Amino acid sequence: MPKKATKLEKKEKKKKRMAIIRPWCWYCERDFEDVKVLMQHQKAKHFKCSHCPRRLNTAGGLAVHIQQVHKLEPDRIENALPGRDGYDVEIFGMEGIPAPDLADYKRRKEAEFGLAPGSTSVPAEAKRPKIDKRVLTQTELAQMLVAHKALMSGGDVPMTSGGALAAPAAVGAPVAFGAPPMPFPPGMPPPGFPLPPGMSVPPLSGVLPGMPPFPPVPGPLPAPGINGAPPASFLPPGVIPPPSLLLPGMTPNGPPSASLGLPLPPALSAPPSGSLQMSGSLPPQSLLPTSTPTFSPMQKVEYARQPEIKDGAKLLWADASLSPEENRAKAIKYSQPFGNAASEGDDIDGPRGVKRARAEDFL
Amino acid sequence: MSSSVEIELDNAPVDMVSSLHFSPATADHLLVSAWDGSVRLYDVTKDDQLVSVQHRAPVLDIAYPEAARAYSASLDGSVRIVDIEKGTVHTLGTHGNAARSVVWSESYNFLLSGSWDATVRAWDVRSPTPQILAAPHPERVYSMDADKERLVVCMAGRHVRVWDLRMLRERTGHKEPAQVRESSLKFQVRKVACMPEGEGFASSSVEGRIAIDYYDHSENAQAKKYAFKCHRTTVDGVENIFPVNALAFHPTYATLLSGGSDASISIWDIGTRKRIKQLPKFRSAVQAIAVSRGGERIAVGCGDGLEEGDKPVNASVFVRMSGDEAKPKPKTSA
Repeated sequence: MPKKATKLEKKEKKKKRMAIIRPWCWYCERDFEDVKVLMQHQKAKHFKCSHCPRRLNTAGGLAVHIQQVHKLEPDRIENALPGRDGYDVEIFGMEGIPAPDLADYKRRKEAEFGLAPGSTSVPAEAKRPKIDKRVLTQTELAQMLVAHKALMSGGDVPMTSGGALAAPAAVGAPVAFGAPPMPFPPGMPPPGFPLPPGMSVPPLSGVLPGMPPFPPVPGPLPAPGINGAPPASFLPPGVIPPPSLLLPGMTPNGPPSASLGLPLPPALSAPPSGSLQMSGSLPPQSLLPTSTPTFSPMQKVEYARQPEIKDGAKLLWADASLSPEENRAKAIKYSQPFGNAASEGDDIDGPRGVKRARAEDFL
Repeated sequence: MSSSVEIELDNAPVDMVSSLHFSPATADHLLVSAWDGSVRLYDVTKDDQLVSVQHRAPVLDIAYPEAARAYSASLDGSVRIVDIEKGTVHTLGTHGNAARSVVWSESYNFLLSGSWDATVRAWDVRSPTPQILAAPHPERVYSMDADKERLVVCMAGRHVRVWDLRMLRERTGHKEPAQVRESSLKFQVRKVACMPEGEGFASSSVEGRIAIDYYDHSENAQAKKYAFKCHRTTVDGVENIFPVNALAFHPTYATLLSGGSDASISIWDIGTRKRIKQLPKFRSAVQAIAVSRGGERIAVGCGDGLEEGDKPVNASVFVRMSGDEAKPKPKTSA
């Protein structure tokens, strides 16, 4: 997971950088998604012959074309800013832009973005953490559980390893399911648990050696003896439970997450197993051999959800769990067999398919 | 360019057209199935209805592998043999719910049907006990298509299964799909069509979008997959998004034809990812497209109001001489 996060960050950075020095047209100072689009624009707007539909690639090409094909003197480049409408500068996409103009444009863009001069290659602002709203996979849940157990043990078991770097090797590394709980350095606030919906943050990366010890939280402590199951409200989401608040009963070997009172973020509050097939990953059942009769016909299934469409758009068919045909089939005129049907050899009357033996259906 | 001539068939079905296919023997004959329970054969050169075979229930799909014989899938769950010469039907077997789709495998000579009872059944049409097997699926089957070796099944809940046809042909043995996939489309799948060369398939959704997918799981092949928006119109700032009801690959050019509830047909070059042509709008929503084996004719089945239930449907069938309008444009330089 951490590797992915850094990759994502890099991507974001790159995006940002691209956004600042996007390819732009020297003739009219418009900027474009990429050089390809820019060149299309130049062909359409500036290098189009006004005497015929021909489009050329460069100003020079256009000049030669006008002189040779139409036997005319080239006039000016169309749609160009004053002073940039001459044929003397050979522009091809971003190539050929006079250096002073390039520098000038860069300076102006930087000013526009509120950047220090010469800093076009750094992002304009710190990137907001990317919020990932997808449904968690089983492995991720398992990782989180292990991390959480580690957290619990960190508060419970007195640290013997001493020093602030008891678990540096594991910091930020993906935690395998079933890995032993990791102890935390004493006096350190448990890092970033419960996790916010932004899952791209690696579970343990918040730990820094030398962090100040967490101050004991004043206020009434829950009565001792509540074994590992404080009410969910005990730790509201987003509040980091300080070690001093954790009860002796909450050992890492306790029951799994459900009874740990783990304050789950919204995305996690669904039961951890079985219901994960709602979207995203494929249900494990579907990988079973086909010999298991698992279907029940025509149920309107709960997970038939679909993404929202953007404002200003209208879906003609918005029902995710029913096809237009199924809807149409409900009409009364289709509920009765048609009278004038052709003679059907051995076709028997009555409701068809209902009483059919099911044994042969699942070979 | 003026080689494309379009005619509308007289005597079209009285209810929504569900499927149409050209005869495997001649591009002059077109078989049309409809919600009025009819399966009709037309001579498109003379605009003449040759045969009409009536079913007891709306026909949702047909397969047409032999000139004298077709197979139909009906809302009453039955999969039937339609004898076109005699004008009779014979029930092969019945699903637990409406049979939505039938596909004929030419390479293995058997029939496949998919149903809202969440099974795909394989049929040996010559056998006295025709049903070869019923493969359970996770959801209701909405659309299927086969190429030479594979069957692609698209279901509700965005489930996709790819089967080896050879495996479905065998009566015995352990059956398991070759691939378990999730649709690349975020919305309900409407239609799937396999590429003629067998490297992948196209699928369309209710949300005006088409996805191109490849079977090969290698990174190289998967890099080629993509999806694009289509069949949308913006009126007064509101973008109307139409279901893409029909997909068909052109047999000679391997270009993709798509038809939507916006009553239009677009022809796509999936290699260059460009639209080659958009046909002028038809009178009502496009429900089915067929291309003749030689690619010389395109048939379009139309009907409105599938989405609204009981409205007048305005069913019609058009046949077009396609000429080279579905031909990919040669790469132009400069």
